[in-house]
Order: sequence, then structure tokens, then C-alpha cells
Amino acid sequence: MSDLMKTYPILKIIDHGPGLRSLYFEKTFEVQPGQFINLWLPGVDEKPFSVSRITADFIEVSIKAYGPFSQAIMQCQPGQRLGLRGPFGRPFSWHNNALLIGGGIGIAPLRILGDTLSQKGFNFSYLIGAVTAHELLFPEEMKRQAATRIYTDDGSLGKKGRVTADIEQILDSEKIEFVYAAGPEIMFVVLKPILDQRRLPYEFCMERYMKCGIGICGQCVLDDSGIRLCVEGPVLNQDDLKQVTELGSVHRDASGRRVR
Amino acid sequence: MLKTRFFKAELETPFVLASGILGLTASSMIRVLDFGCGAVTTKSFNMEWRKGHKAPSILPFENGLLNAVGLSNPGADEMVREISQFKSRTNRPLFASIFGRTIDEFGQVAEKIVGLQPDLIEVNVSCPNVRSEFGRPFGDSPQDTAAITRLVKNIAGSHIPVSMKLGPHGPGIGLMAKACEDNGADAITAINTVGPGMLIDIDVRKPILANKTGGVSGPAILPIAVKSVYEVYQAVKIPIIGTGGVTTAADAIQMILAGASLVGVGTAVYERGIEVFHELAAGIENYMTTYGFKTIEDFRGLAHE
Ligand SMILES: Cc1cc2nc3c(=O)[nH]c(=O)nc-3n(C[C@H](O)[C@H](O)[C@H](O)COP(=O)(O)OP(=O)(O)OC[C@H]3O[C@@H](n4cnc5c(N)ncnc54)[C@H](O)[C@@H]3O)c2cc1C
Ligand SMILES: Cc1cc2nc3c(=O)[nH]c(=O)nc-3n(C[C@H](O)[C@H](O)[C@H](O)COP(=O)(O)O)c2cc1C
Ligand code: FES
Repeated sequence: MSDLMKTYPILKIIDHGPGLRSLYFEKTFEVQPGQFINLWLPGVDEKPFSVSRITADFIEVSIKAYGPFSQAIMQCQPGQRLGLRGPFGRPFSWHNNALLIGGGIGIAPLRILGDTLSQKGFNFSYLIGAVTAHELLFPEEMKRQAATRIYTDDGSLGKKGRVTADIEQILDSEKIEFVYAAGPEIMFVVLKPILDQRRLPYEFCMERYMKCGIGICGQCVLDDSGIRLCVEGPVLNQDDLKQVTELGSVHRDASGRRVR
Repeated sequence: MLKTRFFKAELETPFVLASGILGLTASSMIRVLDFGCGAVTTKSFNMEWRKGHKAPSILPFENGLLNAVGLSNPGADEMVREISQFKSRTNRPLFASIFGRTIDEFGQVAEKIVGLQPDLIEVNVSCPNVRSEFGRPFGDSPQDTAAITRLVKNIAGSHIPVSMKLGPHGPGIGLMAKACEDNGADAITAINTVGPGMLIDIDVRKPILANKTGGVSGPAILPIAVKSVYEVYQAVKIPIIGTGGVTTAADAIQMILAGASLVGVGTAVYERGIEVFHELAAGIENYMTTYGFKTIEDFRGLAHE
């Protein structure tokens, strides 16, 4: 694929629950786990989305209903054409004995990562959480693939509590040599000191407002590092994050204003 | 070899990051300087923040970019904060790019930033992407452009140089540049994006940009930019920041031969990556060695002889 815009028909849609669905497109390009594409819904808008799976035949993106764009995606029908460009960004690196932590829609990029790690024969386990059961992506597929711990805020599936509730105990009782995490930023804020303290290497898949996806508009640049999340991210490791002072405190909106 | 003085600013290289490219925050601009760029220009800003147009707003095509960001910016107060941050972290050159929805607003924004001592105030009167909202750019009218030049120069005073950023459209860029010079401009930045243009998706049969039209930049506009700089050089004595389509060292050399003192680089940061400044520097040094030029001065404007 390329940075140029091209539209493709939606091959198939799977609704996981209210306001949570996966769209499938013909596989016309390669994607590495953690990379994202820009999805254009003609007449509406264009936004970045992690690729959640790739097979010999299709590319999958998984989308949660939120504001105007993602709500409009919930109305899409198979056959409808959407624009795809990318893949953009730096992918996850691959490690053995890893823990894959996903919160909410952040589970999406962990799915393609898990597929890749298992193809490589690496050991790993999942730790996933969401507000409630029907907001959890792929729990059954994950369980079939690896040991999977599930948390929901309301206890409707798995343990009741935040996905990070028992993290220290898990890290200290199991052979975990690498941690991947994707989800809301508060998760990274909780995890970072815990991982740093144990000197565990890690990669977080982050989000910032993105306009171009190609490293020129400056919208996604992180203080004070100058890292362009769309090019040098969205996956950042513990060394990259040393220079990032805005983690968990500010990000910038569509105008570039700082919001807390 | 490439060290360049521009008014009071000392640039390591004659390259200027063009406005709208990685120019929103101090951290972003400092990183670009660390990659060998000589000076940075901020994203153009006005008094009130603006979200800009919906996406797609920046669209690559085979020979460049089509963009209709819509002058999104966090507003003057936020940019004042970023420029102050920048100044507290480095003394390398920063050019502040300003615009206004009205002639008065250019003055208000200039008032906001003179205290920060930017190395230059660049006045954007030529953005082609906000027509539906603002009407024709001020830069299409010599009278309006003259009035804005006087207003901003008055506020900037003698110690902060003012560069008027022009487009290739309107009544002729040489004439426009002369109107700027006659009204106190210290420099001309030429050019802004070209067009506007449009690209259509042939399968959904709709314009791709949310704004439908957008300014063209990158390799596609190099010949227009070189010719514009050539024309401005003949029309005025003040220095030129030659911008538009510069992707390789040969492109940058053309700009200098046409008369540019500094070379603006925008889309090439996408085409070649943020490392592009090293590539440009190496190529120009090579050229200078080949022809025995000691400084950029030695070959500036030579295409006119
Ligand atoms: C690298 C990356 C990967 C992403 N992957 C997924 C994914 O796999 N699944 C998924 O459902 N969502 C993903 N998102 C979020 C997605 O891009 C949209 O932000 C989300 O769908 C909300 O958009 P909206 O218009 O519906 O809501 P809005 O109400 O417009 O926005 C809600 C919030 O989303 C964020 N947002 C809005 N627009 C953008 C934008 N252009 N770029 C970045 N953030 C924005 C802002 O923080 C905003 O406050 C990802 C974002 C990034 C940056
Ligand atoms: C994404 C994008 C945003 C831009 N934003 C601005 C802006 O805010 N103010 C401005 O004066 N020029 C803006 N420009 C124009 C550039 O500064 C430059 O004049 C033009 O792109 C031509 O140079 P290039 O071909 O090297 O990109 C923008 C260009 C691009 C591609
Ligand atoms: S989204 Fe434009 S630089 Fe990252």
C-alpha cells in the first residue's frame, strides 16, 4: 500500500456488541503489529486506526463508537467504499515471555501482535480489561491462543476491577521478560513506574490527535522529546518515554491547544 | 561553509523550516533544528484558536502534497507560550508566522509577539485554503498587502525584521513584492502553496479533501517557485526566503541562483524525511567545492547575469 488515498469496499462487518465492530478489507498490503492506517469515510472525516488483524486474505480494523466519526462507522454497510492509506508508524518489536496488556479498544493492536508472536513460537499471555463485558474485543479468540486474564470494571466478565489491579503480583510471580501495553493513557501512567522499578523493558502503543499521519503537520508531537507519534510511534519504548514529559498530563487537540 | 547571517540571526545552514511543517510546539521545532535546519518558522497563528478543516486535510500525491489544513492553530496565547519555551531552551533562530482574518488582527497578533523577540515576523497573506471562510487572500490585493505591511512593520519596529509571505497568484508576484518593499517590508518569503487544486477519488467519485480544494506543495510546484523567486529578485532589493518544492540540493541551488538568500523547506520533510537537511547541506557544499564558491553569496542571483 502507500500514503496515497485509495478506496476499498468493506468485505464484511462483525458486530461484537453495541458500538463495537470490526471491518474487513481485502488484504492489499502488508502491516506490522502496532502500525495504523488512516480510514476515510467519504463525506464525513478521516481518522487513524490500528490494524487489529491481518491474514492471507483480509485486513481487519476494530472500532469503538465514540464521537461523530466512529458513530458514522457504525452505520456503514458491507460493499461501501472507505479510503485506506498507510500503514503508518513504527511497529512493536518481538520478544519472548511477554505480557500483553490491553485496555478497552486498546486490545485491537494486541490481537495482531499476539498472532505474530504465536506464529514465531514465542511465549506470551494476555491481560485484558474493559468497562463491561460487551466492550471486550476478542476474549474467546485470545483464550484459545494463550493464557488470558480478563477484568471488567463492573465484573460482568472475568475479575471485577481495572486491568492493572493485580499487575505487580503478576509480574512478580511469573516469568515475564517484556511488557506490551495499549489502551487509555492512565494505564501507562499506572504501569510505567511499576515496570521501571522492576527494570522490565516495555512498549506502549499510544494515541495523540493526528492530522497527516506522515510526520509533517506537527499535531502529534510529544513534549519535550519532539517525537512525532505518527512516525516514530505509535509504539514507544522505555527509552523513548524517558524524554516524554507530557505522558498522562497533557495532549493537544485539533487546534493544537493543550488539554488536560 | 553554509553558515549564513540573516539580519541579526546566525543560521548554521541556509535552510528554513517552512510554516505549517512541524511548527506547532517548541519541542517539535527544536528537534528539526537538531536535524540541521538553520531556522524554523512557526505554524501561522492568529488571535483565536482554530480547529481547521476536517480530514483528509493533508493528502500526498505522486508529486507532492495537497493540503487544506485550514490555518488550524492554538491561538496567539498558546503560541506565545511555545515561543517562550523555545527561547528558554535554545537561542537558534525562530521566525514567527502570523495571519489575521482582518487587517486589524494582523496588528493584534504582531503586538502579542514583539516582546518575545522572534528573529523575524513572517506575515502570511497568501494562504489559499480559507477562501470559503475569508474570501480572497489579502495577498491578492496590493493595497491590502501594503496596509498590512505598514501595520506590522510599525509594531515590529526597527529591531525585528518583517517578511511578507506571498503566493504566485494575484496581480503578479514582482508587483506585490514591490508594494511590500515600498511599505517597509524587510524581506519576502516566496511562495506559499499553489492553486488551490483538487484530487478526486475515481471509485467514490468525490473530491478527497474534506475542503474539496487545497494548496499544492512539493516537487510539482518547484518551477513555479523558482520563477517566482527570480521575478521577486528583479523587482526588489530586499532578501528573499525562496520556498516551494525544494526536495534536493539541486532544487535548493536553483533557488539561490534565482536570488534566494535563504531556502524554505516544507514538503521535503515528508518526501525525504526529517534527515533531508543533511542531504541538502552535503549537496550544496559539494556544488560549492566543484565551482569554487566560498559562500552562498558567491552564487546568489547568478542566473540573472
Ligand atoms: C494511532 C492510533 C490508533 C487508533 N486506533 C484505534 C482503534 O484501533 N480503534 C478505535 O476505535 N479507535 C482508534 N483510535 C482512535 C480514533 O482515531 C478516533 O480518535 C476515535 O474513533 C474517535 O473519533 P470520533 O470522531 O468518533 O470522536 P471525537 O469525539 O471526534 O473524538 C474523541 C476523542 O478521540 C480523539 N481523536 C479524535 N480525532 C482524532 C484524530 N484525528 N487522531 C487521533 N485522535 C483523535 C480525541 O482525543 C478526541 O477527544 C486510534 C487513534 C490513534 C492515534
Ligand atoms: C501541511 C502544510 C501546512 C502549511 N501551513 C502553512 C501555514 O500555516 N502558513 C504558511 O504561511 N504556509 C503554510 N504552508 C505552506 C508552506 O509553508 C510552503 O510555503 C509551501 O508548502 C511550499 O513549500 P514546499 O513545497 O517546500 O512545501 C503549509 C504547507 C503545508 C504542506
Ligand atoms: S499527525 Fe502530522 S506529524 Fe504526526
